[in-house]
Amino acid sequence: MSDAKLEAVLARLYTDAAFREAFLAHPADTARAAGLQARDVDELARIDREGLELAARSYAHKRSSKTRTAPATALPSSAFGRWWAALRGLW
Amino acid sequence: MAVEADSRDRFGIGYRPELLAGILANLDRLDIVEAVADDFLDHGMHLRALRTLAGQVPLTLHGVSLGLAGACPVEAKRLEAFARWVDFVRPESWTEHLAFVRAGGIEIGHLAAPPRRPATVESAARNVARAARVIGAMPCLENVATLIDPPCSTMSETQWVGDVLRATGAPLLLDLHNLHANAHNFAFDARTYLESLPLHTARYVHIAGGRRVSLGNTGRVRIIDDHLHEAPAAVFELLAVVAERTSQSLTVILERDGKYPDFRVLLDELDRARTAVAVGRGRRVPTSRGVAA
Repeated sequence: MSDAKLEAVLARLYTDAAFREAFLAHPADTARAAGLQARDVDELARIDREGLELAARSYAHKRSSKTRTAPATALPSSAFGRWWAALRGLW
Repeated sequence: MAVEADSRDRFGIGYRPELLAGILANLDRLDIVEAVADDFLDHGMHLRALRTLAGQVPLTLHGVSLGLAGACPVEAKRLEAFARWVDFVRPESWTEHLAFVRAGGIEIGHLAAPPRRPATVESAARNVARAARVIGAMPCLENVATLIDPPCSTMSETQWVGDVLRATGAPLLLDLHNLHANAHNFAFDARTYLESLPLHTARYVHIAGGRRVSLGNTGRVRIIDDHLHEAPAAVFELLAVVAERTSQSLTVILERDGKYPDFRVLLDELDRARTAVAVGRGRRVPTSRGVAA
């Protein structure tokens, strides 16, 4: 469970600019508030800050590229498209 | 003395729609094609195109979004979709990355290296075993590039990758540009890394290129594995080392995801790969029981 929680915090750090900013200002407090164990709080406080910023930019670029290069057959993000995607998800 | 790659070694390229004409026009120079398996495959047109391609040339499906190395179980619907694609396309194999791609309800958008520690070896092994059951075949597992040294790790990358391979019994898809980038970014020696890996499990090898980015005004540089550039010389040197240190046949695949040059340029890159493998094979020392490195 602690590894799942840690990965969830990493996912937020990689994708959520406001959370990342709060974390970089107060790493231990933010990690503790996110429910991480003391061992991981200490480790995360020593995070590679340059790598974190670079990785976050790279992930943001990948996400926007995926949106731009979605295949022509993909459904538009209309209400119908969302309904159809939800239906397919259930199936 | 002329050097030749082992006749069992194969060389191919990653399929992208922009490369289809070049691939079809040069099937005599390609032993295999690798196709990325992502959500868009569920649109029938793409699946049918891949099945047609698989009838022309050996094809492997390359997963990018299962997140096999995540701490949480892979969603059943993702595994079932992948199994449908495999059933329909009938590739010779499937591959995935040793990465997590989502956690806590957040889609990261790309491959993230998990914290390298014993607990994530165990969760990766559980995910791989379940995926193999649902899809009907064991995947080849790929080492990933990362721009951040995974926080909260207690193991080295080689130790972690090696332990996952041993725990799963899965073969290795060794990405040499990922290795080259990580070695540069985190100051370790790529050749020493290769010595520590169970290279006898390597079945596929990826080659690709990337770019160097400066870290502000620090003077430090990191390498991004963007697949938009020619593979650097260091990657071909590592390929020769792998060919020297392995006795099994290797399948080398060139990855290119954009800024596509003329297809002849990509074929030339594959020829460089053939030469590198031949050089490595040529360094092996003949013994009475075969050939040893």
